[in-house]
Amino acid sequence: MVATQDALLAQMRRGTLQYCVLSLLADEERYGFDLVRGLAELDGMVTSEGTIYPLLSRLRRDGLVESNWQESPSGPPRRYYRLTNAGRAALDAFRLEWRRFRDAVDHFVERTDER
Amino acid sequence: MSTRADALINEYLDRLEEELADFPSTRRRELVQEISAHIAEARASLENEDEASIRNLLDRMGDPADIAAEAAGPPAAEAPPPPPQQAKTRGSGWDVAALVMLLVGGLILPVVGWFVGVVLLWTSETWSTGEKLLGTLLVPGGLALPLFLLTVGTSANSCGGEVGGPLTCTGGNGAGSAAVTVLVIALFVVPIAVVAYLARRRSQVAAPA
Repeated sequence: MVATQDALLAQMRRGTLQYCVLSLLADEERYGFDLVRGLAELDGMVTSEGTIYPLLSRLRRDGLVESNWQESPSGPPRRYYRLTNAGRAALDAFRLEWRRFRDAVDHFVERTDER
Repeated sequence: MSTRADALINEYLDRLEEELADFPSTRRRELVQEISAHIAEARASLENEDEASIRNLLDRMGDPADIAAEAAGPPAAEAPPPPPQQAKTRGSGWDVAALVMLLVGGLILPVVGWFVGVVLLWTSETWSTGEKLLGTLLVPGGLALPLFLLTVGTSANSCGGEVGGPLTCTGGNGAGSAAVTVLVIALFVVPIAVVAYLARRRSQVAAPA
């Protein structure tokens, strides 16, 4: 794969990652390790797990997620993240745009594939 | 083994701490704390804690420099461009005054009135230099010039006629008077057209403001 394509895919992953994080938090609150495991289940989404934490920190400062500490059954307390109303609105807006974008790209890319 | 593992992990966290040195201490502490907790949990779930598995674990965490870069936010190239410099505009009334004076200023106050229009035109930030030149050169004096020529023409060449009415010439040949007629009509039409053009440009430029 050429370098520019690698860079493009990295940018796409980077741009969409925060919405994947918001999606994972849509139904339940999660703590960092749990969240990273959830993302890592899908191949290609997270290349370095540590970079999720600055992202979570930014989402929190932007008011899209909020966090609180909860005791853990094993080890020290954990910081749990959950979606705020603003986060839910951002996620809903992204879903709409993403579907349109995905369908438009699929329309061309998938059709070429079938020929 | 656990001392070797501890050493590797501490080394990693020290490097992270260093990479985050420029961040406010609360953010640095939060990130180091979260990542250190992540490493501890990943380590606890290792089946076999040997040096290779610890190194793999730390590799999966990623280079501390990458984490710091992510914390610093998107690269500068992605940052939104600075808002366009808001043109410092005078009240739009000045622009209207410029156009009015260019066209009929010379009629209100001979020569000076048109000059007032030119000054207002050139001190405005609405139009480009080319448009200002256009407004100045087409036609100096505005409507005062053709009217002036009409009056002069009437006495010197015995060309008569009411303003806006047919020109009648008693001197010169027919072709000459026809040329004069065309010239005078052009001198009426051109400044009106130029001012109309400048007015349209102004409304295009001023629309967002």
